[in-house]
Amino acid sequence: MKKAILSILGRDRPGIVAAVARGLLDLDCNIENVSMAMLQTEFAGIFLVGMPEGVTVGEIEETLTARLDPLGLQVVVKPCTPPGLEEPAVRSEPFVITSRGPDRKGLVAHIAEVIARHGVNITRLQAVFKGGSHPADNLMIFEVEVPEAVDAGTLRRELHAAAERLGLEITLQHSYIFETLHRI
Amino acid sequence: MLTEREIVATLEMVKSEHLDVRTVTLGLSLLDCAGEELAAVRRRIAERIQRTAGRLVSVCDRVAQKYGIPVVNKRIAVSPIAVVAAAFAPEELVEIARTLDAAARAVHVDFIGGFSALVEKGMARGDRALIAAIPEALAVTERVCASVNVASTRTGINMDAVLRMGEAVKAAAERTRDRDGIACTKLCVFANIPEDIPFMAGAYLGVGEADAVINVGVSGPGVVRKAIDRALAENPALDLGGISEIIKRTAYKVTRVGELIGREVAEALGIPFGVVDLSLAPTPQVGDSVGEIFQSLGLHGIGVPGSTAALALLNDAVKKGGAFASSRVGGLSGAFIPVSEDLNIAEAARRGILGIEKLEALTSVCSVGLDMVALPGDTPAETISAILADEMAIGVINQKAAAARLIPVPGKRAGERAVFGGLLGEATIIPVNCGTAENRFVRRGGLIPAPIHSLRN
Repeated sequence: MKKAILSILGRDRPGIVAAVARGLLDLDCNIENVSMAMLQTEFAGIFLVGMPEGVTVGEIEETLTARLDPLGLQVVVKPCTPPGLEEPAVRSEPFVITSRGPDRKGLVAHIAEVIARHGVNITRLQAVFKGGSHPADNLMIFEVEVPEAVDAGTLRRELHAAAERLGLEITLQHSYIFETLHRI
Repeated sequence: MLTEREIVATLEMVKSEHLDVRTVTLGLSLLDCAGEELAAVRRRIAERIQRTAGRLVSVCDRVAQKYGIPVVNKRIAVSPIAVVAAAFAPEELVEIARTLDAAARAVHVDFIGGFSALVEKGMARGDRALIAAIPEALAVTERVCASVNVASTRTGINMDAVLRMGEAVKAAAERTRDRDGIACTKLCVFANIPEDIPFMAGAYLGVGEADAVINVGVSGPGVVRKAIDRALAENPALDLGGISEIIKRTAYKVTRVGELIGREVAEALGIPFGVVDLSLAPTPQVGDSVGEIFQSLGLHGIGVPGSTAALALLNDAVKKGGAFASSRVGGLSGAFIPVSEDLNIAEAARRGILGIEKLEALTSVCSVGLDMVALPGDTPAETISAILADEMAIGVINQKAAAARLIPVPGKRAGERAVFGGLLGEATIIPVNCGTAENRFVRRGGLIPAPIHSLRN
């Protein structure tokens, strides 16, 4: 079955998920994965759906746009990469990079660039910037997959160098430590 | 998926609460290094330590960095030298101590334990030689730690050995009188010594253990204290049952961290993982104190009425949380109350809140005993032996480990300061009631019989 990926963006309000799901059901699409987030007042949702024979990406976008535009929501739909065309899996280990420190522009960009330079994939990013200089008010948490071929020592040194320039405290820890500490 | 709360809590525990792994200790059998030719035995011991422990420190550092959890100390515990080197005279045993010291330095560990004898029922030739060698061995080495097990619940108390150990403690202090008797800080006298303690000075590798094993000592008391403070800030009406739950949960966490680090180090070294020792071991730093926990529980300080009950609560909750977290719990597993190594306990001793009698009472419910207690320099050997005998009796009757690390500080009196430095800290010398009076009881010698195992009251 072909698949499509949808993103829905706009100001949050009751009924967004219901409207999206109903639109997809009317096209006989099957929702396989959903991830949604609320950032301050804004809604962001990503839906991965299976499409029946005869339904196109264009139809989905057209149908959903017609229903969601009146709610002030934007819709983007694109086809998923067919199975078998993905890049071969790279053996990697999950790490968490955490930074705390005074807020300023460019924090995410500078740290993410170091991560990217090492070929490390960010799988999840949580960032809260309340502004000001209190470290606890400005937090970035990058969950990343570090390929086995990457030298963790070099990555750590470069992260620390970047963090120092930005006035941040930064840590790189294997994610298992957090599960070990807090979960049974 | 990790939550922001889990991540932030972990960072805070490391940064502000001293969450760490207190020690990774490599237990190493030297039994097959035994022989009758001193030079050959020394060479075999040095080679064995270098070969097995050469990567210990670098592996610990790598694993610590991977998880962002410091491994504060890396140590080695060897087979009892009184067994390994039973053929030698005291002066030859001192040479073996020098070999251990040099080998420890070469692999960058700060302490090596196992200059030890097990004499709870009787002393063999090697045991007598080792006890005779202890004062000089500890005076001429930096990193060697000694322990002698003089009593057990199954055998009773070997009072001949207790008497000798009182003399050994005095002699060790005298040989290092220019450093406040620091040799005694590396000497533990035990009842019911476990075979897998990772903490110094009592660490050695039991004769029932494998060729090599990795044992781990969990994080210190700072994490527990902060957890109690946080819980009480959220709910000032929390009762002692609730506080016990908080301690259990915290002990669970620190035990899991200890086991994770220990298992990974063991795997990297190709050595079996042994046990996690749950003991809360303080250091002379603010925020890393067992004594501060007493204040968080609502006591004026450790030593005031209520302290024994508070320590019993703490010790029991730590054990329950740790036992749930790991099926490989061993060593001493409780709370340490080393006077000089804990800023808060040292301060209680200085202010006179905590005396040797109350310390002794506390040891009946905690994991070890009279630990790092500085005594007046004129305390006679037989009084030291008598204090040792009292402490051994607590262990023997209560079927628990009990130990004493006493330092009769040469040339100093009660109320003066003894300074050992570093992790060993400093302490006010505390008086001993009737400390200089004759004590014929301990000079009678013989074996105090093993206790009856019924009629338990």
